[in-house]
Parts: sequence; structure tokens; C-alpha cells
Amino acid sequence: MKKINYIYISAFAAAISLSACNKALNIKPKEQIDQTNAIVTSNDVQSTLVGAYNRMAQTGVYGGRIFVQPDLMAATDTVLTFNGTYQGLTQITNQAIPNDNSFVLDTWQQAYQAINLANNVVANLSKADAGQRDRMEGEAKFIRGLIYFDLARLYGRAWNDGDPATNLAVPIVLTPTTGVDNSIFVPRNTVKEVYTQAINDLKTAEAKLPATNSFYANSGAASAILARLYLQQGDYTNAGAEANTVIASGTFTLNAKYSDEFPIPGKASHVDNTPEDIFAIQVTEQQGITSMNEFYASASNSGRGDIHIDPAFIAEFDANDTRGQFYTPKLNSDNSVSFYRTKKFDNTFGNVHVVRLAEMYLIRAESNLQTGKALGATPLSDINKIRERAGANDLTTVALSDIKAERRHELAFEGGFFLHDAKRLGLPVGKLQYSSPKLVFPIPLREIQANSKLVQNPGY
Amino acid sequence: MKKNLLTILLLFSCITFGLAQSRVITGKVTDQKDGSALPGVSVTVKGLSGTGTQTGVNGTFSLTVPGTAKVLLFQFLGFKPMEMSISNKPLIVQLESDSKQLSEVVVVGYGTQTKASVTGSIASVSSKQIEETPVTSLEQAMQGKVAGVVIQADGGKLGQGINIRVRGSSSVSAGTQPLYILDGIPITTENLSSTDAATNPIADINFNDIESVQILKDASASAIYGARASNGVIVITTKKGKAGATKINFSAQFGSSTPSRHRQFLNSKQYVALQQRAAIGAAKQDTIGGGDYNDALASEQSALNDELTLLSAGNDDWKTGKVNTNWEEQAFQKAPQQQYDLNLSGGNDKTTYYIGGQYLNQTGIVLGNSFKRYSGRVNLDTKVDKNLSIGTNLSFANTINNRIANDDLFSTPLQGVALSPITPLIDPRSGLLSGSLPGEADDYPLYYNPLLSTNNAYYQAKVYRTIGNVYANWEIIKGLTFRSEFGIDQLNQAEDSYFGRLTFRNTATNDGFGENTTTQVLNYNTNNYFSYKTLFGTDHSLDLTLGTSYQNSRKVGNDIQGQEFPSDAYKKLGAAAVKTTGASYDEGYTFLSYFLRANYAYKGKYLISGSARTDGSSRFGSNSRYGFFPSGSVGWIMSEEEFLKNSKLISNLKVRFSYGLTGNAEIGNFSALGLFSPANYNGTAGQRFSQVANPNLKWETTAQLDAGVDFGFFNNRLTGSFDYYKKNTRDLLLEVNLPGTLGIANISPATPSTQLQNLGKLYNKGFELQISSDNLVGKFKWTTSINASYNKNIVTDIKGQVLGSDDLNRVIEGQPIGVFYGHEYAGVDPANGDALYYLNTKDANGNINRGKTNDYNAAQNVVLGSPTPKYTGGITNIFGYNGIELAVTFQGVFGNKIYNQAGQYMSSAAGNGYDNQTVDQLNYWNKPGDITNVPEPRTFYANGTNPSSRYISSGTYVRCKTVTLAYNLPKDIISKVKLERVKVFVNAYNLFVITKYKGWDPEVNTDYQSGNINLGVDFYSAPQPRTVTFGFNVGL
Repeated sequence: MKKINYIYISAFAAAISLSACNKALNIKPKEQIDQTNAIVTSNDVQSTLVGAYNRMAQTGVYGGRIFVQPDLMAATDTVLTFNGTYQGLTQITNQAIPNDNSFVLDTWQQAYQAINLANNVVANLSKADAGQRDRMEGEAKFIRGLIYFDLARLYGRAWNDGDPATNLAVPIVLTPTTGVDNSIFVPRNTVKEVYTQAINDLKTAEAKLPATNSFYANSGAASAILARLYLQQGDYTNAGAEANTVIASGTFTLNAKYSDEFPIPGKASHVDNTPEDIFAIQVTEQQGITSMNEFYASASNSGRGDIHIDPAFIAEFDANDTRGQFYTPKLNSDNSVSFYRTKKFDNTFGNVHVVRLAEMYLIRAESNLQTGKALGATPLSDINKIRERAGANDLTTVALSDIKAERRHELAFEGGFFLHDAKRLGLPVGKLQYSSPKLVFPIPLREIQANSKLVQNPGY
Repeated sequence: MKKNLLTILLLFSCITFGLAQSRVITGKVTDQKDGSALPGVSVTVKGLSGTGTQTGVNGTFSLTVPGTAKVLLFQFLGFKPMEMSISNKPLIVQLESDSKQLSEVVVVGYGTQTKASVTGSIASVSSKQIEETPVTSLEQAMQGKVAGVVIQADGGKLGQGINIRVRGSSSVSAGTQPLYILDGIPITTENLSSTDAATNPIADINFNDIESVQILKDASASAIYGARASNGVIVITTKKGKAGATKINFSAQFGSSTPSRHRQFLNSKQYVALQQRAAIGAAKQDTIGGGDYNDALASEQSALNDELTLLSAGNDDWKTGKVNTNWEEQAFQKAPQQQYDLNLSGGNDKTTYYIGGQYLNQTGIVLGNSFKRYSGRVNLDTKVDKNLSIGTNLSFANTINNRIANDDLFSTPLQGVALSPITPLIDPRSGLLSGSLPGEADDYPLYYNPLLSTNNAYYQAKVYRTIGNVYANWEIIKGLTFRSEFGIDQLNQAEDSYFGRLTFRNTATNDGFGENTTTQVLNYNTNNYFSYKTLFGTDHSLDLTLGTSYQNSRKVGNDIQGQEFPSDAYKKLGAAAVKTTGASYDEGYTFLSYFLRANYAYKGKYLISGSARTDGSSRFGSNSRYGFFPSGSVGWIMSEEEFLKNSKLISNLKVRFSYGLTGNAEIGNFSALGLFSPANYNGTAGQRFSQVANPNLKWETTAQLDAGVDFGFFNNRLTGSFDYYKKNTRDLLLEVNLPGTLGIANISPATPSTQLQNLGKLYNKGFELQISSDNLVGKFKWTTSINASYNKNIVTDIKGQVLGSDDLNRVIEGQPIGVFYGHEYAGVDPANGDALYYLNTKDANGNINRGKTNDYNAAQNVVLGSPTPKYTGGITNIFGYNGIELAVTFQGVFGNKIYNQAGQYMSSAAGNGYDNQTVDQLNYWNKPGDITNVPEPRTFYANGTNPSSRYISSGTYVRCKTVTLAYNLPKDIISKVKLERVKVFVNAYNLFVITKYKGWDPEVNTDYQSGNINLGVDFYSAPQPRTVTFGFNVGL
């Protein structure tokens, strides 16, 4: 009797436990959510848009390396030396980049992560509240346009080097990733196609974005990147017009002092955009890392201190130019200067300035000079406006070489201009010609292995 | 059964013959290992049939023997037989267990079998082989002792990750570590370290509590664990009490460790001279395209002098070599250790118990590293009535691991070797450790001084772990039992760290950084199964097992990080003015399984066995939730056949063959789903696309064939086994690289645009040989055991992909997992000192161009060697004489390569910064015509420092793993002080290593990137400790 009870009890217990178990095979993630539930409401579209900013703020892109890398590539010997231990950056500095360079790969992958989220926003605009829809579209397309422009500059030959209609840049992807099929293997588009895509996106953004939009992209930001893009193409008419649009909007004003653009609070902490910032990547203690600080700042300012600026570069500044004083000397024991570090990125949580108003004056000046116009102001007046703010002496006449020098001093280490300016002006970079294939990133080996439709750049 | 009949018969005869003229012999039989009483031992008079008895519950016996009797013979299942001369005193008999006896019981999945009836490939490790080894975890104690099981530590840090591979690595992206079963319950072995460097949850287990370890290697043995068995199964059984008086056993050992090897770096004068030569090399390069050489040289020299003065604490001591700091030696510390074990066991015929406790305190050889463990165990078994027994195995442990930084961080002590020898330990300007002076510390020393972390930072991981199970075993009718087990493995880990102000150059925060992480894993499991054993007729035996198992594991935790502390006196996060990270975690998985096994034997010599398991798991895709894993095996005990039965030479000969399927489900918990994850920006909430769905995702399947032979010669004095196996793995769980243009921001693994797919095939094949020989028996004893394995691992199909992202380890078709694939270094151009590489380009006819180039990008990647050894093995010799025992184990691996990833810095011919260099760099190219492998030194020109075969060398080694010298004090002495046993011993662990590898230690795999693919890489990795301990063991 006792035995039979045991059997029934155990059989019953087993039956109960098994039926409960079948359900237990369905375990839902709690830290993530299912793809299918991710973008349902207008708020979800907005969250995805914020995610696009999060991705574009990664270190490999606008967290700073998309600016550090071209400068390392272009500014050896006379401007800076790289003393760090990241071999990938040593390779970039030495203009000898193996096709498996991890920094080149990071920039590529992180850029497309931001693009994919922008594509998710664009594809789901119908779910956005009508009052928000244009703004969301504008922000998403601003992000996408900006990234395609920078990818074209880094992974493709310069606009003015050969035929942009046949030179290859990067693949254009405009739809969100949902699954895996044969359509994921996309070929590279031409430099011209990618520039055109960037222009279209930025034009839409310019039209649909409000003039001010908190720290997010605004209409002026789209105009400003368009100005930079047209300048890169040597399209001075459009470059000057877009720069003038930004200046004339009155939304942004030059800071009183040059150093105000790079605030260094007593304790490292987030500082909101300055009136001069047109668009900046926000860095806080909780979110974002600035690779500008990582590589340019000393250890006391939380950096690695890898990039040393040569005294020869500082010697280029006028004595009373406050921009030249915005560098910290590292003294030898005999008080001679060993090297300098820029103070621009001393705040550990400083924003990464993607584009600021001073550049618009410089673009307008250069465009007017090249086209022989005085849209908004004369080149001399624009240049002196920037010089006066810095405490440098006024120029009496202005030539292209003056504008070039002004850009070099005003925007040094901010936007990869050492490389990009040399390329658009066809100037040599160290011992290399501007058109040297060594000044173009390789298509990352990992990407070529994952996608046989990608063609490698010459020299790799 | 036969044995029982015999005993009854003997008892009978005892009564019959006891009437003759005779005397009474009394005595006690105990187990030599732990002194516990052995009931049921057969006691007979040698040469006289019919006189005998059995020992009682407390091991005692009383036997009436004829006056002519001289010697008694003691025999017991699982023990070596023993003879003892009759004397007037009571006989004290200690039987030695015999692992070679075929009647030995082997623990298999959901049951036990006798060794003779096993048709699968199972390796066993007994407690005697591992106990008292002065290491932290079980795997280290087993190293070199089991054929086909390759055990390799990541490095010499305590409690850190250990790779263990049973018959090779059968997965690229899923887990490759075996499943661990502790007393019937799968335990948590997942690495829970919050850094990239793994820790080892097996280190929470006191291996002195372990009675036996069985490693289930082939499909026949392991398929009963179905979807989790492809990597082998390690079945651990803890000690049980035996009926009889309470036995108390206490052991203690004390000792210390030193680094097993050192690496040689330049002294001050050599360092300065090399840097000066590098300035010349750089100046020549500066002016290759034109420019004045003398100007360039002056500029390079001026920069170098500035740097050397800076590194020399701002003075000119570098010119005289006055300061000569050996930073390598500074990375190590005195490393004492102590360990105490106390256990009690005993019981009566109804209830038995084992109670054990341990305190272990080891100091690591690397500065700041230590490991402590407090553990306890209670194993209790009781018979409720004659058909029902219940029991529990319960252990608790607290481990405290004072961890040090990962190998890739400036703060790990061994990265101190990068610092210049001209940099003084103490900065004369401050009287403090170099790197303490504000302002100066930005650039002085060359890098962050890791010694600053010793007193200004800590990182402690505390684990509280309870593993327990309860079981009931009910014999429903004779032969049919039902067993129900319920087990819990609860692991609570608290990691706490603080990095003070002086570590700012390392942490990038000026006012302190703290982190606190807690992780809890609650893993419960229930097994319910029926076993039926029957004999029909005299020739047929059948053994059936049918049951179900359910496992549920849930991991929850949280992490908080903060900075801006009021002062270094505050170290807890409440004081952090800024909380930089706060997160909570919650995830889990389940397995629901049904299993069946049937073993049939005909006449005890023809064996056939089959098993099957169905596993369902929450981890698989919705379209393929359940997997089915069958296996079958046959065995033939040839030595039981008439033609061998009376052979004097062959005492055992069994051939066996098995084939079956097993699976692998060790993947992320949600790998099949399409996911979005949080992605915030400047205090606003956002989300990102983080994983692309794969609803078809399923387990990876391994079909394994095993053919083996077990043999015994000369009455089993020489025994062994040989196995050939082939494991074909298909539907590989492979983290496939998708185009980055998809923009998938994957979280785990954090490699963008990948997807876990069932794609590809690989195989492992090889053989294993295990031999054990009693070379000398008698007063002087000598036994030798040898194990040797060969494994060939080849990835056969991954659709042409090349996987792997770090320096050289890759997965490519036709090669083993993690093969080194990269540029082939061709030495130095005698004309100009340029580093050269073989082009290795293929022309249209497929001919390989062996021309050399100094353009790194012009050279093609080629296979440069495998990080996985082809052959592994071990040999243990045990010598015994008069209570003295000497056991020596050598262990070796052969045919693998090591890549020194730090070579780009430490062996760069001063071409990649001002790091100190290994002494071999002095052999640099100096002038045209020089033939050497070290390129011309050129500051920052990175001449030859890119990843290549320049930094690959042989990883073959033979290590003297353990040497134990023990002395068992004579019984007649210790019995006077009422002790059962006193043993004193000396242990030497990693006494020496024979290798051509020039680094610290050939047993290496840098911790920060260790994984399935990244193998055999050295990056400032800590060497293994050489440990010598003295101890004693007392039983009463």
C-alpha cells in the first residue's frame, strides 16, 4: 500500500514538473527587447534617433577618431609626433596602414551603426507624430549625410583626384537592417554618388530642421556641413552661400575669446555648447568618450598624452595671437621646450566640436576670394574678424595662403583639416603627393572578407 | 552476487572446521587511504580452503584457525589483496585501493557501472592523484594526468581562467569547456569576471573533498548529457563516510612560490646605447627623400637626450648608468602560502557522514595577487527503511581573490618591464615612487608605474557559493529503483575596487575611481529517473535507465561605478560625487531533457549499450527547440573467452567501439533573437539595433566514433588502454562576420555586425594511450603511469570565411582553430637594415613568389603555425620504500607555437617608442653586410614591428609538474600515541621547465583576450609559480 502511494506521488510530481517545464523554455530577455517591438510608437522613433546620436558619438567616429586619424596621417614631422602605444595609430601616422588596421575598421563599422539607426528612423517616419516628423527626418538625414561625407573623404580618393564618377568611395545603404539575405552584400558606390547622397541628405535636413534644436542637429548644422562639403569639392559658389546662410542666420555668435570655445571647468565635467558651436557631440560623465581628450590631453587631464605638438608649429603663430598661447609646453630640465600639448581638449568631458561658426567665416572668405565676390562680407573682413577675436594683428590684404594659414591656426587638431585641406588644395603631405594612395584608408580586410563585392583601394 | 555466495559458503565452512584444535585470531581491517573501517572484507587462511570470515561493521574480525595456519589473506572488492603473517597480537590490516581492478565502480551519467562493463571511453582520476597539490583549483591538480584532456592556464595569476579541452576544441564560437557534474548536478562554470580576464568558478571547490573524477570522453559515455556533451563531461563525486568509528583527518601545508622563469631586459648602459643607435637610424630615414643628415641627426639626438633626461628623473644619471632599475624583478613578490584541511567521517550501518573543512591562503607571485578560500562540506546518507535511502551533499565556500589588472593594462605589474632601466624606483625629487609627483607624472616614467597600484588601488572579488543537493533513492521492487535528485548551485559574487588619486595616469580620473559589481547565479536542477537491473538466466544481464532532467539557471546582478571621491580615505561608492555607471542585469536559460540508456551483457563478455537524450533549451531558436542525441556501443571482453582465460600473459583484454551524437548549446542566452538595446545620449534615452534574429538557430552536433582497447598483462601488473577517435562537428555555432554596412551594434560578443549561425564543419581526430605499470612490487615499489595523446583539429568548411580579429589568430579552412595566419618575416636586408617579409604572392600558375619585400602591405598572409599542441602527455613515477613515497609527474605539450604580442614593444629594436628591450635586440643590424634577424634600430619608425612570424616561436615544453616526497611514520610508533596515520611530505610544483621559448612561460594565453580563437598569445602574461610546500597529514 505504502509503495503504491509512493509511485502515484512521484508520477504526479513528475507530470506537474514536466508541464511547467515546457513553458519554462520560453525565456524573454530583460535587458534588451525584441526587434519586432522596438519601433512602434512615435516615442520609439525618437528613441531610435537618440540611438543614432549614441552610435555617432562612439570614439571611432565623432567621439573624435574620425578627426584624429586624418590629422595623424597628415601632420607628422612639422606639426605633431605620435608617441603612443596603439600600433594601429602608429601605422596611420607612418602612412603605412595594413589593411587589417583595427582603427580603420572601427571607424567603418561604427559609422554604419549610426547610419543604420538613421535609416531606421527614416523608414519609420510614418509612426512619428506629425509635429515631430520633419525634425526627426532632418536629424536622421543630417547624421547620415555627415557620415557619408566623412566616409567618402577617408575611404575614397579626393574629389579633385581623378574622376569622382568612377573613383570608388563606400557603399550607400539607405534601408534599415532587418534580416540576412543576399541583398546585404552591397558594392562600393562612387565618390560622386556618395557626395550626392550626402548633399541630398543634408539639403533635406537643412530644409526640415528648425533653426535651434537644443544640442541636437539644427538647420544651421546642415548648412555648415554642406559648406564644408562644397568647399571640399572646390564648389566655392555653393560653399560660400551655405557658409553665409549660417552666419546670416544669427543663430550662432563667435565667442568673445578663442579659449571660450574650449571651456576647462575647475573639475572636469560636461559643458553645454558654446554660442559658437553649430553642432557638437555631447560628452558627459555617464555617456560618451572624447578621443580628442584621449590622445591630445596629458594624463593629468585624463588623456593618454600620446600626441606631442612640435615647437615648430607653435612658432608659426604671431606672438600676440592667443591661439598660439593655447598650448601647454613640456619643459626640459634646462627649461627649454621639449614639446607642447594643445589645451583644446583638456576637459575630460568636453564636447567634440564637429563644426563651429569660425569655420564658416573662413569658408566664406575663401569662397569669396576664389569667386571674386563679397557675399556677406569681404574676405579681408572675415579673416580679420577671426584674427581680432584671437588677438592677432589685422591683415591688410588677404591671399589664399593667408586663408590657408588662418584655417591651420584657427582649426588646428579639430576636424582632420591637415589632411582634408591638403587634399582639396592639391598640396603635398610630407613626402607624399596629395593623391598618394597611402593617404586613403584601405577598405578593412574584415569587410572585404565578409562581402566579396567590395573592391580594395589601390596600394593595399 | 558471486562474492556474497562465496562469503556465505566461507562462513559455513568456518563453523564446520572451527571445531578442530585451533586458536582465535582477531584484528581490524581499515582503508589505507583514510583509515576508515572496512566491513565485509573476506578473511581466509592462505593455502587452506574452507577457513574464513568477513569483517564486521567496524572492520573487526575474529577467526578461529587451525594451529598450522601461518598467513591470513584479506580480499575486498576494489582493493589490492593483502597477506599478513599471524602473530600473537591483534592484526592491524590496511588495504590499499586498487584503481586497476575491473570490479571498480565507475560513476557515469545518472548511475554507476563496473569498470569491466563500460563500453565507452572514460578516464578516471582518483583523490590520491590530486589531493594536497598546492594549487587553487581541480584542473590544475589534474594537469598532465589524463590522456586526451589538455589543461592550460591563461597565466600565473591565482584563480584566473583555465582552458580545458577534452579531445580537442569542437567549436569556434560556442563554448569549448566540458560540462561539469558535481554529485549528479550540473554546476555553474561560466566565467563571471567583470573584466575581460576570466576567473575560474571551479576554484570555489575544495578538491580535497573529491573522491573521484571521471571524464566522459566519447559519445557512448557522454551522450546521456545530450546537447551539452560535445566538449566532454567531467563527473565529480565527493567523499562519503563509511560505517565505523569516526575518523579524523587533519592536514596542513606551508610553503612559498617564486616565478618559474624570468625574462632578461637591457640594463641602463645597454638601453641608452641602443636608443642612441636608434636616433641614428631614424635620422637616416628622415633624410631618405632629401634633407641634411647632420641636421636630422642633431634633431633626433636632441629629442632623445630630452627624453632620456626626462626618464632619468630630470637629471643626467642616464649618461653614467648610475641608476639601473630591474623592473622585471619589481613585478614579483614573496609568495607564502598555507593550507589546512580537517575532515571527519564515519557512521553506522544506517547513516554515514563526511564532514570536511578547509582554509587555504595563497599569495600570488605577481605583486598584489592573493587567493583565500574557506570551505566546508557535509555529505550525509541515511537509510530510512530497507528500500529507501536519502541523503544530501552540501558544500559552502567563500573565496577571496585579490586580483590584479589584466595583461593589457599599464597597471599590471609585468608591464613595468616596459619602463626604462634609467628610471629610478624612487624619484629623487620627491622621495616617493616614480610617478607620484604631480605634473611630472604626466610623462614620467615612460608609462604609468604599475607599482603605484600596489598601495593605491585594490580589486577584490569575493565569492560565496553554496552547492547542495538532496536525493531519495527508492527501491520499488528488487532491481527497480527510482531516484530523485534536486540540487542548487548558488553563487554570489561581489567585486569591489577602488583606484586612488595616484593611479590617475592609469584610470584617467584625478579624484579616485570605484566600482562595485554583484552577480548572483541561482542554478537549480532536478533529475528523476528509474533504473532497472536484472539478470535473466545466468547469461543475460540488463541495465536500464529512464528519466528526465530540468535545469534552470538565472543570473542577476548590478554594477555601479563612480568617481570624484573626497579623499582616498573614502573608498565606497556612496562617497563618489559622480556616479558614472549604474546598471542591473537579469538573464537566464533552461534545459528540459529526457534520457534513456540500456546496457546489455551476454555471459559478462559481450556488451552492448545504447543511450538517447532529447534536450530542449530556451537558448535555441523558436523553429528548432529540441535536439535528439543517440549513441550506441559494443564491447567484447576477449580475455573471458576460453582461448585467453588461462593465459598467463594476458589478464584482461577488451575491445570496444562506440558511435553517437552529442551537442553543444554553450551560447549566449538570447542568441536566436533580433534585439534592440539601450543607447542613451547626453541624458536622453535611446535605443540601438543590437542583434539580428536567427529563428533557426540550433545546437551544434558532433558525431563521434571511438574504437578502443583495454588491456592488462601479467595479472594486471601492466594495464592500459588505447583509443582512436574521430569527432565530426557539423552545424557549427559560428559567429559569422556579416558586412559592417549592416550596422548591427552587437553587445555580446561586442564585435559589430556578426550573427550566430549554424554554419560549417570541423573535426578532431586522434588517439590516446594510457599505461600503468607496477614495475616493482614488494618492499621496494615502483609504479609508472604514462598518458599520451595526439589530436588533430581541422576546420573543414566555413564557407571560405576568415574569422578572428586580433593580431594573428584566425579561423580558416583546412587549418586548426586559432591558427597563426599573417606575414612571414624574412629577416633583415643586409644592405640597409630594413625588416623584410616574404611576398608569398601567387602567380597565375599558382607558384608562390618567395621574393622578399620591405613593404609590409605587399606581402601576403600565410599560415605560420598552430597555437594548439599536436601531442600532449604526462608521466608519473611513484617509488615507495618502507613508508617513504616519492611521486614525480612530468607533463609536456609538443608541436605548438606561441606569439609574443608584446614583441612589437619589448623586442622592437627600439623602433616603437622608448620601451626597454629584451637583450636579444642587441644583435641588431648595424652596418651594411650584417646578417641578423633584428632590424636596424630606428626611433618610432616601427621597422619590422608589425605582427609577423618574427614574434612566433615554438611552444613545446616539458615541465616537472609535481614532485612529492612523503614519509608515513611507522604504525607501531604512531599507534602508541593513538594515531592511525602520520604522514609528512614535501611538495614541489612546477619545479622546472624545459623549453626553447624565451619568454616567461610557455604555458601562456594572455588573459584579456583569451577565447576559443585567441590562443597561445603572450602579452606581458604572468609565468606559472614554482611552489614548494612542506606539510603533514595526521589521521586518528
